[in-house]
Amino acid sequence: MSATAVAAPAVHSLWTTAAAAPIHAPKIEYAQLSPILVVLGAAVAGILVEAFVPRRARYGTQLAVTLIGLAGAFAAVVGLAATGYATTKADLAAMGSIAVDGPSLFLQGTLILVTAVGVLAIAERGLEPQSREVPHVDAFAPQAAAVPGSEDEKAAARAGWSTTEVFPLTLFALSGMLVFPAAGDLLTLFIGLEILSLPLYLMCALARRRRLLSQESAVKYFLLGAFASAFFLFGTALLYGYAGTLDLGGIAKVVTGDAAPNAALNASAHGDALLLIGGAMIVMGLLFKVGAVPFHAWTPDVYQGAPTPITGFMAAATKVAAFGALLRLLYVALPEMRWDWRPVMWGVAILTMALGAIVAVTQTDVKRMLAYSSIAHAGFLLTGVIAGNKQGVSAVLFYLAAYSFVTLGAFAVVTLVRDAGGEATHLSRWDGLGRRSPLVAVTFALFLLAFAGIPLTSGFSGKFAVFSAAAKGGAVPLVVVGVLCSAVAAFFYVRVIVRMFFAEPRADGPSVAVPSALTGTAIAVGAAATLVLGVFPQWAFDLADKASVFIR
Amino acid sequence: MSGQSFLSTSGTEIAFVLVGIVALGAALLTVTTRQLVHAALWLVVALGALAVEYLLLTAEFVAWVQVLIYVGAVVVLLLFGLMLTRAPIGPSPDADSRHRPLAAAVAVAAAALLVTVVADAFRTTWITLRPGAGSAEANGIGLFRAWVLPFEALSVLLLAALVGAIVLSRRRAARPGVHEEADD
Amino acid sequence: MHLLYPVVLSALLFCTGVYGVLARRNAVLVLMAVELMLNAVNLNLVAFDVWLRDTLHAGQALTLFTVTIAAAEIGLGLAIVLLLYRRRGTSSVDRLDELADRPDPPHPDQGAGPDPDADQDADPDARPAPDATSDDQPRKAAA
Repeated sequence: MSATAVAAPAVHSLWTTAAAAPIHAPKIEYAQLSPILVVLGAAVAGILVEAFVPRRARYGTQLAVTLIGLAGAFAAVVGLAATGYATTKADLAAMGSIAVDGPSLFLQGTLILVTAVGVLAIAERGLEPQSREVPHVDAFAPQAAAVPGSEDEKAAARAGWSTTEVFPLTLFALSGMLVFPAAGDLLTLFIGLEILSLPLYLMCALARRRRLLSQESAVKYFLLGAFASAFFLFGTALLYGYAGTLDLGGIAKVVTGDAAPNAALNASAHGDALLLIGGAMIVMGLLFKVGAVPFHAWTPDVYQGAPTPITGFMAAATKVAAFGALLRLLYVALPEMRWDWRPVMWGVAILTMALGAIVAVTQTDVKRMLAYSSIAHAGFLLTGVIAGNKQGVSAVLFYLAAYSFVTLGAFAVVTLVRDAGGEATHLSRWDGLGRRSPLVAVTFALFLLAFAGIPLTSGFSGKFAVFSAAAKGGAVPLVVVGVLCSAVAAFFYVRVIVRMFFAEPRADGPSVAVPSALTGTAIAVGAAATLVLGVFPQWAFDLADKASVFIR
Repeated sequence: MSGQSFLSTSGTEIAFVLVGIVALGAALLTVTTRQLVHAALWLVVALGALAVEYLLLTAEFVAWVQVLIYVGAVVVLLLFGLMLTRAPIGPSPDADSRHRPLAAAVAVAAAALLVTVVADAFRTTWITLRPGAGSAEANGIGLFRAWVLPFEALSVLLLAALVGAIVLSRRRAARPGVHEEADD
Repeated sequence: MHLLYPVVLSALLFCTGVYGVLARRNAVLVLMAVELMLNAVNLNLVAFDVWLRDTLHAGQALTLFTVTIAAAEIGLGLAIVLLLYRRRGTSSVDRLDELADRPDPPHPDQGAGPDPDADQDADPDARPAPDATSDDQPRKAAA
């Protein structure tokens, strides 16, 4: 029984009796919501910094505020987990809107760490060519609305203008991501979806270089995202009509027939078709966010067009948040519908893995290739979701944590390989990179091997976990397809590695920029996480296993 | 709820159906007209008709919000958008893409599916309308008790959207030497 | 009142919006179609809420949220569309084809000038569209 359902009679008596009755304040568990609240506080503080701190000091202040906020939020998550909110004291907070339980806290912790690493890459100002006039150049347009290269923009750059708003916007997106996998009802789920989406749409349009591509990617992402949100909402409306409640636990009770929440509901005939179509439309909205086939069309375009640090953050964090929400929806609200959603999800998973792996082979742009690889990984993650057991949940949690750091690291490496036009993303430009800068090439090779799922990398541990969970859950054919697709993808990753180490370097090839400590740390953390979760995965498996029970 | 059928139509039902036809017709014109400004004006008709439908369903607060925000603000924004992108007055031949037949097929198939599903689920369901169910008071109590966290989150979303829109469209002439004055 | 009337009207409006999104080329018209879809959802939610006599008013609450978010989304969406229009001189979504799978895309580094400070778009075909009659834009970069 959730908190909202408990509150129902009280509200009812309130508005049927006299209006003079005192208004009952809602019960808000501030401590249990503290990770979200700290991030929101830091974001609002960031806005105030924009308003009051002198322009020259903004960058440093913003970075400090953001990192302190993230550290505080992570401490809050650890504190909650340590005091048992992940296991024994798991409960619904804020009138049933937010579920504070194992998966929530695990994913929130992952998201905060991912954002911290992503912010380091976003804050990098040492890669673009600099001059005495313009000492610090980041990856973002100083004035998004000005024409690149125009006098206006040059003047803005000389005046030290930069778009430091990306820091609070990143935090806003993160706050939506923290709400998204923890939402206890469909309304909160929708709000979380929008809070995480809107800042991402506009951050896609802010690239300093190739701004036309950047703006095009933002328009595509925005229009398709709004379309997908509308489907999500219509599905929500249909489920509301079916169950009479937006509560995920309440919907599950109506599906099983345990609860009759509403007199009007009982008097009407109900088709299961309503539940099926409504659930399918909501899942469609979530599959769009994770970039699963056939809702993947935006992924390569947006990943390619967006500023690379944003792409890395978006690719890693959105996937974590959206898979968390998908797990909660399917395991909390629709577990009894397993035999209806599983066949469909089988098809989606197979298509996603196959298309992601096969189309990646034909790509000639590094960012597009990584985008298709992320589609394939969405397919692998879906096999874990389909497993339908506790092991599946813990495997997906582990996979998300492992995959997100690999992605962040890979995109951070992409920002380093540059030529006069900015990042050299065409694969032919990466020929012989291993001879010019072995360290960068070896690190990128490590990330590619992790994507491919080679043993001793986190990619292997993750794939092993989801495939064994799926096999245990009776999806052996799916596992076979998954392994085949991994093999196809591995072929391609290895081809890139061969290119980097064995091809002749081009005379006019790109140079590798020396990163500042920021990007350097981001890449190092990504590589370290890849190796640690690959060589010693057991503690993380245990953690994910402990965190794999949803509160209903 | 017994004794009701399609034959025992009340005045409210007749009004609802008539306004519904207006809303649907205006919506169809919105997505088919080749005159861009007319599309926005037909959208006003469709959204206004929906506000009337909300009133007929006793959801008065939602109805006024619909009028104020949708008809008052969103459509004005869309008209500004059309003006700023220099939408031509008169028919513009490139309003529709070449996928029109495909789009129509998808829409008709989706309509057939959705209408079948809802008709099957609600063929014997009647609403007993009761004034006051959609008053500002009832909505306010619901919003600030059960939905208070999403409500606060929504205010954050509006702040983020505001900041974002400013970031995207801010363009000030920065000249060397005057940037300190231009500093906000 | 029979619940079928609002619910069927909502389904039809939603599909009208779907048609609009798929068939329209102008980005502003696509946004209008999305608005129709959201309004269809709202009608559905209000009808269910009134029918269920939901004590939490979940349906009407979500309707109010949707209206607010739609307004925010439109504001942001128009900002993005206008940004693109200023550069490309078009708000047609069909012409958004710089980003696409190509057998072998042109090298992204051809148009890059030697000036390291120039924030030029590197794409050779990134010039503003010919019909961009730049109203208020300094076109020195493109000239």
